[in-house]
Amino acid sequence: MINDEYFLAALRLAAGNDPIPGHVSAAAREAYDLRVPGAVTADPAERPVARAERGENGSHSVRFVAAGLTFDLEVTVGDGLIDVTGQVFPNPGEGAHVDVRTPHLTLTRRLADTGEFAVTGLPPGWLSVVCHRPGHAPVQTRWVRIRP
Amino acid sequence: MTDTRAPAELLQAAADGDRTAWAELESRFGPRMWAVARACGLDATDAADAVQGTWLRLLQHLHSIRDPARVSAWLATTTRREALMIRRKEQAALPSFGTVDDADPASAVLEADGSRLLWKTVSTLQEPCRTLLKLVATDLGSRQMAMRLGLPLGSIGPTRARCLEKLRLLISPQETAQ
Repeated sequence: MINDEYFLAALRLAAGNDPIPGHVSAAAREAYDLRVPGAVTADPAERPVARAERGENGSHSVRFVAAGLTFDLEVTVGDGLIDVTGQVFPNPGEGAHVDVRTPHLTLTRRLADTGEFAVTGLPPGWLSVVCHRPGHAPVQTRWVRIRP
Repeated sequence: MTDTRAPAELLQAAADGDRTAWAELESRFGPRMWAVARACGLDATDAADAVQGTWLRLLQHLHSIRDPARVSAWLATTTRREALMIRRKEQAALPSFGTVDDADPASAVLEADGSRLLWKTVSTLQEPCRTLLKLVATDLGSRQMAMRLGLPLGSIGPTRARCLEKLRLLISPQETAQ
């Protein structure tokens, strides 16, 4: 069963109606700057229910795993901005750091001895964390969409 | 400047650090991705998120797309999945990090050369369907459409439904034959 909306969208596309906004195209092109060459992608860990868990304070928790590293992220949305606290374990060791990335802003943090880190005031939208370890390929979480 | 490289070449070049190849991929496939997101019922803000999310996914899969020649279909399918996830999130009020596996043959209409096929099929319809669907595509209001077609205002809705049904019947065999 073909959905009428698909027909209509295709007809509008063919007619040049409802074109892609310029800022959407521009954002897509700029996304290339977010490429992390050679990175291993950490996917969300299998859980009985494949979705984020919501904490009492409205925070969301999600776990990513790859290349022997586990990322536990807790994301809180408040006042329209995003705060992220997280832990990478086992501790990736001396000289490791994380980049907490959004399309418009990347914040870099050294990891504590416990592998923990925190950033505040990120814009809502797509978010990813990259862990850089000396002597190893970077590990990057899948991009997740965080909106209030 | 027109880039005539095949999609698989563009993908490989983008993976190797060629920014112009990435821009060309966006130029070729971005409009269709936007249409797919909108067809899933998203408003402009959410559709922008679905499209952006799909490009970010591609960045992480530049070296692992199974069939690089069909990156167009991959982008359309991934956009649709992202769009449906966003819709589900709105409904569930919790972000879902799972995947949407319910493949829908309808997406073929917007993927690959579906739009061109659709338009070609519209032009084979008899009147008033041929004109009506072209007017629908330009978002002309029902009143103006009735005047242009010389039909009573009240018959526009039912006629539109009948024309879409005819289109559906004509498209479906072509779709399954691809």
